Amino acid sequence: MTTFDLLLQQTINGLSLGAMYSLLALGFTLVYGILELINFAHFNVFMVGSFIAMGVLQLFGLNGQEVILTGLPLAMVLIAAFAVTMVASGALGVAIEVLSLRPLRNVKGPAAMITTIGVSYILFNVVLLSQGADAKNFPNPLPTKRFQIGGATLDLRVILIWIVALALMAGLYVFVQRSKMGKAMRATAQDPEAARMMGVEVDRVIVTAFFLGSALAGAGGLIFGLYYNFTSFIIGFTAGLRAFTAAVLGGIGNVPGAMVGGVLIGLIEAMAGQFIATAWADVIIFSILVLVLVFKPAGLFGRLAPQKS
Amino acid sequence: MTSWTQPWLARIPEARRKQIGLTLLIIAALLFPILHDNDADIDSMANAAAYATLALGLNIVVGFAGLLDLGYAAFFAIGAYTYGLLTSFQLEPPWSPFWEPFRQVGLVSQIAGDSGGMAVHFTLSFWIALPLAAAVAAFWGMVFGAPTLRLRGDYLAIVTLGFGEIVPIVVRNWSDLTGGAAGLNGVAAPKLFGWSFGVDATPYYYVAIAMVALLIFVSLRLRDSRIGRAWMAIREDEIAAAAMGVDRTRFKLMAFAIGAAFGGMTGVFYVAKLQTATPEMFGFPVSVMILVMIVFGGIGSVWGVVLGAFILQLLQSWWLKDLTTWLNAAGRLVHSDWLAHVDLVPSIELIFGLILVGMMLFRREGLIPATRPQAALSFDQQHAEVRRGGFKDLELEGLGGERRSGETAMAIRDVTVRFGGLVALNKVSLDVPVGSVIAVIGPNGSGKSTLFNVITGLVPAESGAITFHGDELTNLPPHEILKKGVARTFQNLRLFGNLTVLENVLIGQHARLNTGIAAAILRPRSTRDEEAEAQRWAMQIFGIFGNRLVPRIGQMVTGLSYANRRRTEIARALASRPRILLLDEPTAGMNPAETLELAEQVKSLNQLGLTVLLIEHKLDVVTTLADRVYVLDHGEIIAQGTPAEVRQDEEVLRAYLGRNAQAAAAGVAVNA
Repeated sequence: MTTFDLLLQQTINGLSLGAMYSLLALGFTLVYGILELINFAHFNVFMVGSFIAMGVLQLFGLNGQEVILTGLPLAMVLIAAFAVTMVASGALGVAIEVLSLRPLRNVKGPAAMITTIGVSYILFNVVLLSQGADAKNFPNPLPTKRFQIGGATLDLRVILIWIVALALMAGLYVFVQRSKMGKAMRATAQDPEAARMMGVEVDRVIVTAFFLGSALAGAGGLIFGLYYNFTSFIIGFTAGLRAFTAAVLGGIGNVPGAMVGGVLIGLIEAMAGQFIATAWADVIIFSILVLVLVFKPAGLFGRLAPQKS
Repeated sequence: MTSWTQPWLARIPEARRKQIGLTLLIIAALLFPILHDNDADIDSMANAAAYATLALGLNIVVGFAGLLDLGYAAFFAIGAYTYGLLTSFQLEPPWSPFWEPFRQVGLVSQIAGDSGGMAVHFTLSFWIALPLAAAVAAFWGMVFGAPTLRLRGDYLAIVTLGFGEIVPIVVRNWSDLTGGAAGLNGVAAPKLFGWSFGVDATPYYYVAIAMVALLIFVSLRLRDSRIGRAWMAIREDEIAAAAMGVDRTRFKLMAFAIGAAFGGMTGVFYVAKLQTATPEMFGFPVSVMILVMIVFGGIGSVWGVVLGAFILQLLQSWWLKDLTTWLNAAGRLVHSDWLAHVDLVPSIELIFGLILVGMMLFRREGLIPATRPQAALSFDQQHAEVRRGGFKDLELEGLGGERRSGETAMAIRDVTVRFGGLVALNKVSLDVPVGSVIAVIGPNGSGKSTLFNVITGLVPAESGAITFHGDELTNLPPHEILKKGVARTFQNLRLFGNLTVLENVLIGQHARLNTGIAAAILRPRSTRDEEAEAQRWAMQIFGIFGNRLVPRIGQMVTGLSYANRRRTEIARALASRPRILLLDEPTAGMNPAETLELAEQVKSLNQLGLTVLLIEHKLDVVTTLADRVYVLDHGEIIAQGTPAEVRQDEEVLRAYLGRNAQAAAAGVAVNA
């Protein structure tokens, strides 16, 4: 392969990773925009999401990559898998919010963040203890059709992942910009106190943010499985940190910023893996995180919500 | 406590009780390996002690300074690899005469190298490695801390987490230096007078216990010193800390460095004990485990975090195993296959997660809270003796004492402050003569507090200059400005909420005290004298407010009434022995009697020779106190003069009452 082919191939790979990170980054951004809380539980909601997705696909009798579906059955299975995964993950996010974070709403300091670390640890270990430490073969009914573009390969499933991720993000964007609840969310992000006085039910807004963020993380978990053909209890940590970096890069609290940030981080990871060394990819991504936070804390596109003190 | 122990325990004074408890604890710790001669259990205790030292180190950073560090294990790793590399066979540079002097003092030895020639083998002594690794880790603590200085708490957490991940990755990938994922092997065991510790757990146990004792001592000494107070001030309110003279950069880096040094020392011990080091020993789970320990024991509580570390380590190495054995036996008895084979040990991390969430929801202060609940005040103490007429009988040497010489103390020249497109102050000029009281009035949003913020360095001036007794203040950091004798209060009260009234006022003296790290730990005579003098000065300051604050000096300021919080803030500012006192609406929220009382106290302070710059809405206060009044509106000075002159100024009336009300207001002014 020529350098150009490599570049093309890694762009394709990077966009796929990026689609996943964007979905995950949106959850960080939605919650941070409203609560100014780094939600570490989100890391493992994503991981649990991929396990839920695996369970749903197995319910359809799919196992491993042997059964390939096409046409209507494929569409039905995918729609069902995404719907169930997203609703279940969203419900998990809401449960985390209501049970562990709402009681701490007015507590100053790092209590809420420490709680999310604890919740993340609980999710991680519940899956580890109940599902075991070995990587799971993820059912994948997508046809393995490949297209050659020059020296690079474009997988049909990759195109599908892009379409789904784009559709979900566009849906979220429209929801936040156009719907009444979206307007309430933006108002709460600006000033929860004022929003409350204007009749916004802030608790409902927060629950909605957790539901949407977690649902997208669940979708990300399903996409992870379809892309890599496996899932495991450990996938949350690295993916979560990268997605968080993406959210920071795009300007945390900024919905379109998180999408762009996710794609950028995906591309950086793919390129770094190809042209530097996979082993150093994380160091590069963390360095970006540190550099952005130190020198441009508002991210590339700026925070939309003002910083509350 | 209403247990049966109370009657006879209560008869022993508290200090004595603490002494007895400590002695018993030390004896128990020393006798443990002798009474319980089980190598595995002694080993578990040694490990628990090592984690206790880590918890103590993290507690300095998180508990004292309030900097949530999620990558603390990195320093543990740095210490571990420092010792590992300098005692194992990992690095074998070729022999050259350069190394000869090191051989003489026993730091290296000469061995046969792989390529035939002679090579260097590092043989650093464990005892030298302890302080060396502490220094190396402290250095890296500052390197990792430096970029995070400007970050808010939650960002700091994620950046430290990033560093905590980078260190093991570097260790894993830089295999020429570190041996990569396989780790370092053949790390030398410590030697004492030629006798090697080997693999027997007992000597390690004693070293670990000694380290715990040392670090508890250091932590307690630091906590109860100028340094500890500065950290807690930063934790409670960074802005106020800076305005009270705490150099944030310096003290944050100090916390990172000392915390990291504790971690580095523990790393040396841990690797010497295991005689191997791998990157996996220092990952995120270790950082979280240490965090769980301090959360469990009590964030900021020295004894609490030690207890937390011991309980959680022993839970892991003793109790879960015992419980598993019992459950399995019970399972065999009742023929339950699941019970017979259940293993609780792997669930330790799940338990950690549950502890984190449970503690945050139900007991945030931990097992042993860092702050104890205060006893209620007696009726007499609550009964305020209202002091009218200020304080004439009080001697406050070192405060004020400046005569009205007509010289200018503070000169503000054409200062402009802009927030984005908004001009908050537009070419404001103002003079404060020595020994005077100058008042700044103006409608809300006119820029009064911004003026104070720009004087005290909290917001930058776009142009213009501020001088104080000839010294340039413009764009100095806030703590330098305080040092020059400019102290302030805040309109919205920025006290250090979870500290006592006395501690707040002691922090006010930060810039006037000198205790450094070494003095804080060793507490020589000079430091003890300095502390005693600081306490005495604080008590004198409290005297200004009669008996309003004196009975409450041991109380948390969060529990004070609004008026007493205002008084505490003024006392805190006065404690810094200012040459000018900036009061931002000092009587806001006070009733008329309290307002009058405070106004008279300010008057007395001024009569002692203290220059005052005052923002106030209550015009009667302004009239009683001020020599001269400046009126701000929309960031510009629209009028100035004596209180009487300003009252009749048309511009002022318009600013306060609006243009349409001008006619009506003119009538009021005439009557007044």
